Amino acid sequence: MPSGSSRRASKSTGRSTADDALSETPKIIRQALVIGALGVLLGAAVNFSLVKRFARGEFRETFFSQADNSSVRLITLQEAEDLWAAAEGVFFDARGAGPYGEGHVPRARNLPATESGQKLPADVMELPRERTLVVYCEGGDCQSSLLLAKRLHDEGFKDIRVMTGGWEEWKKAGLPEEKGDDKE
Amino acid sequence: MIKNKTLLVLFRLVLGGLFVYAGVVKVLDPLDFAQNIRNYRLVGQSLSFIAAVVLPWLEILAGVALALGVWKRASALIISGLLVFFILLTLVTIARGLDVDCGCFGALSRKSGLGVILEDLGMLFMGLCLLFAPAKQI
Repeated sequence: MPSGSSRRASKSTGRSTADDALSETPKIIRQALVIGALGVLLGAAVNFSLVKRFARGEFRETFFSQADNSSVRLITLQEAEDLWAAAEGVFFDARGAGPYGEGHVPRARNLPATESGQKLPADVMELPRERTLVVYCEGGDCQSSLLLAKRLHDEGFKDIRVMTGGWEEWKKAGLPEEKGDDKE
Repeated sequence: MIKNKTLLVLFRLVLGGLFVYAGVVKVLDPLDFAQNIRNYRLVGQSLSFIAAVVLPWLEILAGVALALGVWKRASALIISGLLVFFILLTLVTIARGLDVDCGCFGALSRKSGLGVILEDLGMLFMGLCLLFAPAKQI
């Protein structure tokens, strides 16, 4: 039925709702598409610098921006092991309590990074900001260590290192491990 | 379906306002939101980035339009569509046993779970009421 007659019909008979919505469907969809297109344009315009960086190949591995988090460095297993062997730096395991309990880097604190808005524990906040902190998560494409690193950066820590190979690599290399919950 | 005009206008303001808020907190840190999307492990790095750039603006535009009463049905359609998508996404996430932050309301976000679905259902109810309400009532 043409929309005009439908509208007349709905007026004269008092029919409404579903009929109205139905006869206006093409118009509604057109408007929705316009809103969608505006969203794409606005998003691209406002984030132009990010989009440019993306086009240049950044953010293909991780959304972590080195430029915005200058105090964070990604390190290899070897560097992490050296720091650990020299008892330099405080290690943080960003995984949940479950996997942490099953095995973690000895002396590493458990600091799951999943819960946003939650404050860091007081003893972590009291650490000198120059202290070397080493964070890790499961490995592979796990992101919680980066998330934790970002939060520590925001709290003013100046030397944060992310062991990108994570627990997987540490374990595979046969390095020492410790089991059990975080007692602190 | 609800036909009370006052109630429908209230729905419009509340739903529109919630979407504007949800969009604004995401616009403030696009990379953080991109990571949130990536954490759902459904789409890859590139799609997560594109979604993080576009989705918040879609939420803001649809929210503003709905609250102001411009293109009410179209914005209600977009918002309802997004909510259906969010609900499905959350269900899939629960079924896969993933522990992810919903990424929905910035600092007010919590674990993606049943609570999030209930909220989304509440908002979807408002959205559908607006989508199918008589034109003059909204």
